[in-house]
Amino acid sequence: MHIDAELIWHNDFTSPTFDAAIIPGGFSFGDHLRAGIIAAASPATEIVRKLADDGKPVLGICNGFQILIEAGLLPGALLRNSSLKFVCKWMNLQIKNNDSAFTCKFERASTARMPIAHNEGRFFAEEEVLNRLEAEGKVVMTYAGENPTGTSRGITAISNKDGNVVGMMPHPERASDSSLGGTDGLKVFESMVEWARC
Amino acid sequence: MNQTFPIEIIISNKPQARDPEGETIARDLMHKAGYDCVKDVRTGKLLLAKIEARDEEEAKSKVLAMCNDLRLYNPIAHTITIRARN
Amino acid sequence: MLVGDLQTTLTPEELEYGRRHLGREPNALEWAMIDAEWSEHCSYKSSKTILTQLPTTGKRVLLGPGFDSGVVDIGDGYVLSLHIESHNHPSAIEPYGGAATGIGGVVRDILCMGNTPIALLDSLRFGDITKSDHSKWIMKHVIRGIADYGNCIGVPTVAGEVEFDECFEANCLVDVACLGVGRKDELLLAQATHPGDSVYLIGGSTGRDGIHGSTFASRTLTADSESDRSAVQIPDPFTKKLIMEATLESNNAGLLRGCKDLGGGGLATGLSEIADKGGTGLDIQLETIPIREADMTPIEILISESQERMLLVTKQGTEQVLHDIMRKYGVSFARIATVTSTGTISILNHGKLIASLPTSFLANAPIIQRNSRIPQLRKPTPPLKQPIDIHQTLLALLASPTITSKEWVYRQYDHEVGIRTVAKPGEADAAVMKLPNGKLAAIKVDGNSRLCNLDPYIGAASVLAECCRNVIAVGAEPIAFLDHCQFGDPNDEEIFWSFSTTVKALADFAKAASIPCVGGKVSFYNQDEVRRTAIKSSPVLSVLGLIEQPEHVTKIAFKDEDDSVISIGPTEAEMGGSEFNHLLGIGDGEVPRLDFELEIETQRSVLECIRKGLVTACHDCSKGGIGAGLARMAVAGNRGAKIDLRKSGRNLADHELLFSESNSRFLLTTNKPTELIQYLSTRGIPSADVGRVTSDALLVKMSSTDLVWSVDALRDAYCNSLQRILEPWQK
Repeated sequence: MHIDAELIWHNDFTSPTFDAAIIPGGFSFGDHLRAGIIAAASPATEIVRKLADDGKPVLGICNGFQILIEAGLLPGALLRNSSLKFVCKWMNLQIKNNDSAFTCKFERASTARMPIAHNEGRFFAEEEVLNRLEAEGKVVMTYAGENPTGTSRGITAISNKDGNVVGMMPHPERASDSSLGGTDGLKVFESMVEWARC
Repeated sequence: MNQTFPIEIIISNKPQARDPEGETIARDLMHKAGYDCVKDVRTGKLLLAKIEARDEEEAKSKVLAMCNDLRLYNPIAHTITIRARN
Repeated sequence: MLVGDLQTTLTPEELEYGRRHLGREPNALEWAMIDAEWSEHCSYKSSKTILTQLPTTGKRVLLGPGFDSGVVDIGDGYVLSLHIESHNHPSAIEPYGGAATGIGGVVRDILCMGNTPIALLDSLRFGDITKSDHSKWIMKHVIRGIADYGNCIGVPTVAGEVEFDECFEANCLVDVACLGVGRKDELLLAQATHPGDSVYLIGGSTGRDGIHGSTFASRTLTADSESDRSAVQIPDPFTKKLIMEATLESNNAGLLRGCKDLGGGGLATGLSEIADKGGTGLDIQLETIPIREADMTPIEILISESQERMLLVTKQGTEQVLHDIMRKYGVSFARIATVTSTGTISILNHGKLIASLPTSFLANAPIIQRNSRIPQLRKPTPPLKQPIDIHQTLLALLASPTITSKEWVYRQYDHEVGIRTVAKPGEADAAVMKLPNGKLAAIKVDGNSRLCNLDPYIGAASVLAECCRNVIAVGAEPIAFLDHCQFGDPNDEEIFWSFSTTVKALADFAKAASIPCVGGKVSFYNQDEVRRTAIKSSPVLSVLGLIEQPEHVTKIAFKDEDDSVISIGPTEAEMGGSEFNHLLGIGDGEVPRLDFELEIETQRSVLECIRKGLVTACHDCSKGGIGAGLARMAVAGNRGAKIDLRKSGRNLADHELLFSESNSRFLLTTNKPTELIQYLSTRGIPSADVGRVTSDALLVKMSSTDLVWSVDALRDAYCNSLQRILEPWQK
């Protein structure tokens, strides 16, 4: 799979002539105050917002998910893990919904294995919001079995109403090489290519 | 007769120690968005404990003793402020 | 020693040497700079002559000890750099900040070479956490410090070890090592070589934190240490990440001539060392140094150890490009000095000369010859009288803090970031990282304080041998090592004897095995005056190995049912220093011997077996003996085995067969047992087919008994114990 990609510096705003955007994981601004809050105010976030509004695929991975929430592009909040510790572990995931830009290449209700690595991964929203997300099929992935962070209803990836913006705590880019533990993550990127074509 | 007093415990880095989190919030969030009026930001952790005691003074001194005993803060790096919430 | 009003750690001899050499009385500022640079921590004045025994050259070695990091050539235009650091004294009083800034320091040393840090390792020693709340507190905060810092800068912490002993109660040991990779043609040295070049100070501001840190590390802990407030450093990994990116980008752009990390002794030592290495001098403008508090004195400015600062030596004419890069990342920068040909470190404050010292005088402390005395030799203990419940003992050993799984620790470390980690914590005997040229690096860190305490020579050599075995077990050839020698007060003649004997042992084994030492550290004064205890001798070693083909990577898990289990190397009745003895409260005993030739030949043969594709799983035998080794392989593979140990050692009692920590041994599995054993016998390596991998329990036949452990019971003892001790309330 070959995709032309450009790295955009957080302080830059350029005209968004892209087909998709990925906000990767990391520790933007040291996770100070709240993970993702400072980065969400960056000029580059506006590129992401424009692409999201245009229906293009936008993926936030881990810290990227936190940034999408702080930027108002996804609902809910990501709180500190209930164990109060960072967790780095390969997890079994269930694909709840394959209508999104990043899961359309998965079989519905299939399982996948990808690693998580974060301090603040406990998804939280009011009960009515969680009910709505589930009813509308906006819960994209949950943990299958063990819930390592105490996240509500095992939720580990959600999408927006149109399914083009997805935030996920697991790292698909770390599950794209069999020598590193598995290749289930590749389907996330294959889905993006498929969606962008349609 | 014992009453219950809400006591605030604020733990933060000592004044002469750097506070990288406060610096980042001031510089990269507040100043970047134009809030020049902000001269300095320090961060801390707030605990609000309801303490049973005869009076407010006793409540505060019980809390101070407990903070020292349990190492709620490290006197090498942190400072604590204990005050009654009104 | 008080010099005027200034408190220093200099001895009367050093003061006399200073006056004589300069031909005058240095002023207070000059004395403060000399004190910082000549501290044990920065100058190695007690240890330098002893360390020269270590072999430091080899066909791959580009830079050996004496630089910020050791550098080895791995072919295809790439190099690896490695370094080890400790933050023992700061972590003992402020464990979170002490450990976190330790990571910050070791990463800077790799960055100084122009390399990108790609892996971190931690080697930690704490008191008895089953009894001491203080040690639990220290441990939890040290690990959180390492996790928060390493995770935030995006460098994976991929391997480590934790050892527990009462002697570390007041003096924890926090060692961190770092591996970096880079292009050979972009290699930087920490030197100022060209007069006219500029020296920039980049990163954090200079404040009063960390003042006297290096002299703090060169004194034993006393009751006053708890109030040694200024010796604590505040970690700031976000700034570090910005510095990393800015420095690497500056180097890629060809702007840098040299780069130096500011650690112990601050600017005083950093500036003198780059000039000394470059054979030049520096004119330093004090007023250009950005300071946090306006009333700082020149002494405070020059010896401050504020974190996250580096020196960049830039080529004349490239300054504007450097400024642009620094501004892009928001990294503070200031041009503070010019490189000169005077051979003198001159400090000016608004044009007025306030200090002037010859570079090589300042940077080279006079060597101290210390006396040593051989301590009383220990006697072997009489054999055990009472019967031992072997079944229970294996489970107790697997649950004991030093042997038990450290999953509680490494789950807090992001060990996947960077997408290079092929062998992750718990999977194999060493971490394995992908390299840009298609090869792989194996890296491990090891120590054994109990053994080194009983016999410093055998102990140190055994630790080096074990660390090499760990690297071999993943399919790598050892190519370099780092040594970190940690001891108590060097003024104590017996302690100094232990130190020199340790170095001799390392030198002897390293020469025999042809593995060069490319760097290391010496940390003395790990001693508590209040309780009058010194730590046990604690050399900690890190071995780097190279794997040529990805197919050679070997892990420990039992893989396929019916694989044969092979025990390599004879087990002997040598329980001294073993975890078994410690569990039973036996402090003494016959330590395992180390036959250098057998050890080296065994290692090379096992590596050859792996390269020939004969091995499906491999695990070196060390702490906890064969018993712990089999248990780990079973738990990792979620499979059992049927084992007959009578062939692995002659005339041994059951507990000796299972728990002896004899050297030169491996456990491996194979689906080609005949070919494997045949090959080993042509190389003169004793081995025995001791059984088969099965689907359920671990069955072990010994001299007197046959025992069975379910894999679930092994897993519960091995994997859940640390959590039970540290967080008994968590489910």
